Amino acid sequence: MMPTLKINGEDKNFENVPSTLKNLLEILKVDEATVVAEVNGNIIPRNSFNNTALHDGFKIELIRFVGGG
Amino acid sequence: MYKNAPPFKAVRFFMTKLNYEQFEAMLIERHGESVHEKLKSVTVGIAGAGGLGSNVAFSLARIGIGKLVIADFDIVEPSNLNRQQYFVEQLGRKKVEALTENLLKINPYLKIESHCLKLDADNIPSIFKDCPIIAECFDKADQKQMIVETVLAKTKSIIVAVSGLGGYGKSNEIKTKKVSNRTILVGDDHRGLESGFSLMAPRVAIAAGHQANAIVELILEKQ
Repeated sequence: MMPTLKINGEDKNFENVPSTLKNLLEILKVDEATVVAEVNGNIIPRNSFNNTALHDGFKIELIRFVGGG
Repeated sequence: MYKNAPPFKAVRFFMTKLNYEQFEAMLIERHGESVHEKLKSVTVGIAGAGGLGSNVAFSLARIGIGKLVIADFDIVEPSNLNRQQYFVEQLGRKKVEALTENLLKINPYLKIESHCLKLDADNIPSIFKDCPIIAECFDKADQKQMIVETVLAKTKSIIVAVSGLGGYGKSNEIKTKKVSNRTILVGDDHRGLESGFSLMAPRVAIAAGHQANAIVELILEKQ
């Protein structure tokens, strides 16, 4: 079975799970400056995206913001 | 007593003479006593006093929220008037001052704590320490990110944030979603300034209405 991350409630398969949260956001083409991320229920500060390792089965919640208010 | 007076006189009488007890009685008549007491007991944070913040604050002031803590560093500019609850005569004034003035015209008995400063990860927890619920009402995406991350990581408050309210039409694409126990997200997720959508009063007010409505629901359905 392919490694999987559960992202915003949906299973997403990867040949290789992105090594860090920062890598995942690059793959998803999301600007990290506009994302609040939770990994397995813990809020990950933006300055820790680079050293937050990801593994098969992790649950990730991403809230992405666009401007306007 | 006013039977023979022109109607406008009676209206003016009530505008100037609605005292605290009468204002309370009006709210209780509208909402019922238990709803009124719950709304009156809560302090809500308003982070940013622009299109979202001024509209959320107007709604909450009208229904008799107990107290608002409002923070913004900006002044009222001409470009704000297409969607924000300010008046031409208030151009150049600090937004927190102008908004306080406007809110007290709606509800003279509302408690308001205002802070004219730029919110950041260091001051957010202390400014909003008395607020179980905070409305994210910023304009820029990275600032929205900053406050949501800060509130979730450094406080116990619930954050009601917005992403995607640009343009016009598509009213029903603006949704309220519970992302987690402490995060509510309003918006259509993609109509942002970055994609060339401009901001207009109707759609900004719809999003602000979602925010205020979610806040009322949180207050009234709190277990």
